[in-house]
Amino acid sequence: MSSQNEQQDGSEDTHVNVADGVDHQVAMVMDLNKCIGCQTCTIACKSLWTEGGGREYMYWNNVETKPGEGYPRGWEDSGGGWKSGEHSERETGEIPSEEEYGRPWEFNHSEIMYEGSDEPLRPREGAEWGPNWDEDQGAGEYPNSYYFYLPRICNHCTHPSCVEACPRSAIYKRAEDGIVLVDQDRCRGYRYCVEGCPYKKVYYNTVSKQSEKCIFCYPRLEGEGPDGETYAPACAEECPPQLRLVGFLDDEAGPIYKLVEEYEVALPLHPEFQTQPNVYYIPPYAPPQHTDEGETVDVERIPREYLEELFGERVHDALDTIERERQRVRQGGESELMELLQHKNPAKQYRLEVFDDA
Amino acid sequence: MPDTTTRRRTLFAAAAVAVLVTLSAVAAPLASARPAHEIPVAPASGDLSGPTTDGWEDVPAATVPLASAPSSVPNADQTSIERVHVQAARGDGRLYLRLQWHDATRDVATNETRAFADSVAVQFPVNTSSRPPIAMGGPTNRVNVWYWSGATGTEELLAGGAGSTTELQSPSVNASAVHRGSGENATWTVVYTRDVDAPGANRTTIADDGDLDVAFAVWNGSNSERAGRKSVSEWHYFPFGPGPEGPPYETVLWTIAGIAIVGVVAVTAFGVHRSRGGMN
Ligand code: SF4
Ligand code: SF4
Repeated sequence: MSSQNEQQDGSEDTHVNVADGVDHQVAMVMDLNKCIGCQTCTIACKSLWTEGGGREYMYWNNVETKPGEGYPRGWEDSGGGWKSGEHSERETGEIPSEEEYGRPWEFNHSEIMYEGSDEPLRPREGAEWGPNWDEDQGAGEYPNSYYFYLPRICNHCTHPSCVEACPRSAIYKRAEDGIVLVDQDRCRGYRYCVEGCPYKKVYYNTVSKQSEKCIFCYPRLEGEGPDGETYAPACAEECPPQLRLVGFLDDEAGPIYKLVEEYEVALPLHPEFQTQPNVYYIPPYAPPQHTDEGETVDVERIPREYLEELFGERVHDALDTIERERQRVRQGGESELMELLQHKNPAKQYRLEVFDDA
Repeated sequence: MPDTTTRRRTLFAAAAVAVLVTLSAVAAPLASARPAHEIPVAPASGDLSGPTTDGWEDVPAATVPLASAPSSVPNADQTSIERVHVQAARGDGRLYLRLQWHDATRDVATNETRAFADSVAVQFPVNTSSRPPIAMGGPTNRVNVWYWSGATGTEELLAGGAGSTTELQSPSVNASAVHRGSGENATWTVVYTRDVDAPGANRTTIADDGDLDVAFAVWNGSNSERAGRKSVSEWHYFPFGPGPEGPPYETVLWTIAGIAIVGVVAVTAFGVHRSRGGMN
């Protein structure tokens, strides 16, 4: 075991591409086939980190319906990231407006609760857009319509364009685990990181006038809670179907490494942004299309082109691999991959202490 | 009171015309009288404490051209403010600076994701014996910055190169600002005051003689200008006290006035002469 660790530390001995100056890289794998869009992760995150004080509009963890506009609206076309895999030139980006994020709504609680109004409970005005506004809309036509949920957090990228965008070096990738953080003592609210992140996962706090983002719940990882125990990020721990694996990309004995590096079935979102995300997705595989009479036809329900748009061309191999392994199990065979994708053992799902003595 | 103002305006207008007329004739000698990068410093008299107090009417102004700062931030070349008018006065142990520039919109809030505030900065070398790099100084040659922003007010900063700005804990400088007018005429006026004698680590010493280097930067918030996306000047200087740089400012002023009067008389006489001639 120790020799294996040594091997991982000498980065040329492993093919895991960890950023320069970073010892280990935290990573998350989300299986999109299991997401029920319940937003428990969103609320877990919000109640921990972004409840108020200029953070009302922020969702460090959001879950959006795909195909759909996402949060903030149209983020996939808002620029940012790198021009190429050489990471020398950045793509310019835009800062989303309050409307694109969705302003927090005011509801008619007082009219209903105290003034005896019998109108339905609803937002007072301005409810014209919000996070996951286009919930479950999806695309395609009955009976072959389709949609799936896409939970998103900061990807704690290996080549974070948010870090590069900051003229004050106030945003940085921490050496011990590659978590990307905003130094609140250095940030002067210029928001170049906000426009520079192609995933729009840095947010401007309109009260403190500084930028903030997902911190991968690092105090939980460090056991800063009352019981001193290590916990995975709240979005992962609270997820009812437990679809998130949390650990280190360079932990070669862990499931994340196997899914990302060995089986190559867990893919980064929009790899063309070239930031090299460390959140990976098992792409969704829906049942095939069927006719009005309910007969199955050999056409994929979620068009491959759309999945390719999201996950790049490696999505074809990933889906083929998953299909092949499913077939193997159907025929009575064994498949480590299928085991990994179904595993419910938390000891393996969250591997956060593997490098503690390293 | 309005009468006095009107009269003053008329007088001022007349003087301005005179200067203009003279300028065309004596441009070359004038330019050598006040070097291009010199900003005159008048003796402080009258009330200079606020952006619109009347003491400023007697303080000469220099127009300082601005251009987009070279910077690695996106769209750094898209800036909107092209010049700032600078007045400086010194007296009663204080240095007063007044900066004015046109900006159609008053942007003072940063409470929306896309909102940036109008700002201005005056930069001095910490060590006045040599000129630091113009872009926020350098690690061994730092700058002391008087920063004012419509959103946060005044800050005194120290910088040793782009991205190294740090706030000084007990600022020695005050600023007050007003935005007046609308459209084309809308103008920010910001007045800075500092005690000449304000000792402190990393703070520029304002000496009694010699030149003090100074540079300016302006940000237009509604054009998303912030950080390195700004309009900046080259290094200019305040000529403090009698230096070897040439005649004191007042002498220059009187010379200009003299030439102006002669010029106006000559032009008027010529004009009258011609129009009479024309009627014949
Ligand atoms: S997702 Fe965006 S904010 Fe997070 S590390 Fe990558 S570039 Fe930075
Ligand atoms: S808690 Fe889990 S299932 Fe629910 S929306 Fe979040 S990721 Fe999906």
